Amino acid sequence: MLFRVGLVSATFLASAGLILAAEPAALTLEQMAGAIKTDTVTIPTPGELFAALSKPGKPNWAEQYRPPIPTTYSNRAQIALNLGGLIADGFIAVEAQDSQQVKNTGTDIIKLAKSLGVSEHVLSRGKSINEFAENGQWDALQEELEATQNEVKASMQSNSDQDFIILVSLGGWIRGTQVVSGSVLADYNEASAKTLRQPALVTFMQKKVDAMAPELRNEPLVQTVSNQLSEIQKLVTFADGGVPTIDEVRKLNEAVGKLIDEIQKKNDTQ
Amino acid sequence: MRSWRTILISVLIPLALGSVRADESDSEVEARKMALDLAGAFANDGFKLRDGHWSGPIKQGENAIVAVNLYAGNQYWFSVGASEGAKNVTLHIYDETGKPVPTDDYDETDQAAAGFSPTVSGQYFVGINPAAETAAKSFCLVYSYK
Repeated sequence: MLFRVGLVSATFLASAGLILAAEPAALTLEQMAGAIKTDTVTIPTPGELFAALSKPGKPNWAEQYRPPIPTTYSNRAQIALNLGGLIADGFIAVEAQDSQQVKNTGTDIIKLAKSLGVSEHVLSRGKSINEFAENGQWDALQEELEATQNEVKASMQSNSDQDFIILVSLGGWIRGTQVVSGSVLADYNEASAKTLRQPALVTFMQKKVDAMAPELRNEPLVQTVSNQLSEIQKLVTFADGGVPTIDEVRKLNEAVGKLIDEIQKKNDTQ
Repeated sequence: MRSWRTILISVLIPLALGSVRADESDSEVEARKMALDLAGAFANDGFKLRDGHWSGPIKQGENAIVAVNLYAGNQYWFSVGASEGAKNVTLHIYDETGKPVPTDDYDETDQAAAGFSPTVSGQYFVGINPAAETAAKSFCLVYSYK
């Protein structure tokens, strides 16, 4: 009963259960302001973003790789931000169906996760990532990356590191936006450019950063990211049906690119 | 390919349930099973189940509104499950101005799904509406995309 998965197909739903519902009343401003917002459903995964980008035509994902980043940071906020970025890199390698790149990125993800003190269970996912990559199981790999990200966050939750959770999501979103804006710049079309509009998402993440414990919020890197987010929020708010011009995409790409440079920069003292 | 996806989802659902938060009540776990059960159907059509969910109680006569951020170009199915005893739960999707958007709907007694393809990226709201006569129950929302 509980696991009837697969027995009920979408086709069945179409034939047996789909109905045309009466249109409900519009939401009030109070209802929208009071809506539930959680990291687990309100912040989309890099996989969702890249799926949308792939619709108008397959991007050249390998063109969006970046050189390996350091995996020996000592600042926990920086580790969390880079961990999110690396998970986005993992999704890119999966989209490119590049097993070696997936394995390299998976190794780096586990190294950074380890330095944050996440559970052994999360670390064991590195082995699964390698196995799926060797066997070319791309759908399973995407699920595994998403599960790894969620387990890292769950581990942070149980370690009373809740404030770091948003940094993982934020790092992933910034790196994902850099990749998508770079890909749109390389081959501009309106359908791809539309995916870059996410003003409410940036506002949500900004509020989460503002709500962090003061000692973390006041760290120089977190302050830099927070200040830049206000600017980026304006850069992902587009008029005309949410389609940015190529110049707007370029400005956004430059802004997130600068932020990624700051996030991955390893100070000499580290 | 279809059977492979079915097997994959069959494996993933128990894994997903295995990572249930310690503070989730039994009724929330039950609601989550119902939601995942329904969402599994969409995997057969190539939809990927997002590994994340919202679950919680909804009081009698009230609804829950959950904010999501979606991408133009993707297709989405939102699935909700309820703990035993819920009546006629329905799902509605609203755009960022609060206006309802047309959806394909599937409603059963304790499960419901709504599907649509946004043409504008940005924030949307998912309204979970139990029948007015339903006493307080737990509900769980998951979503799938392709």
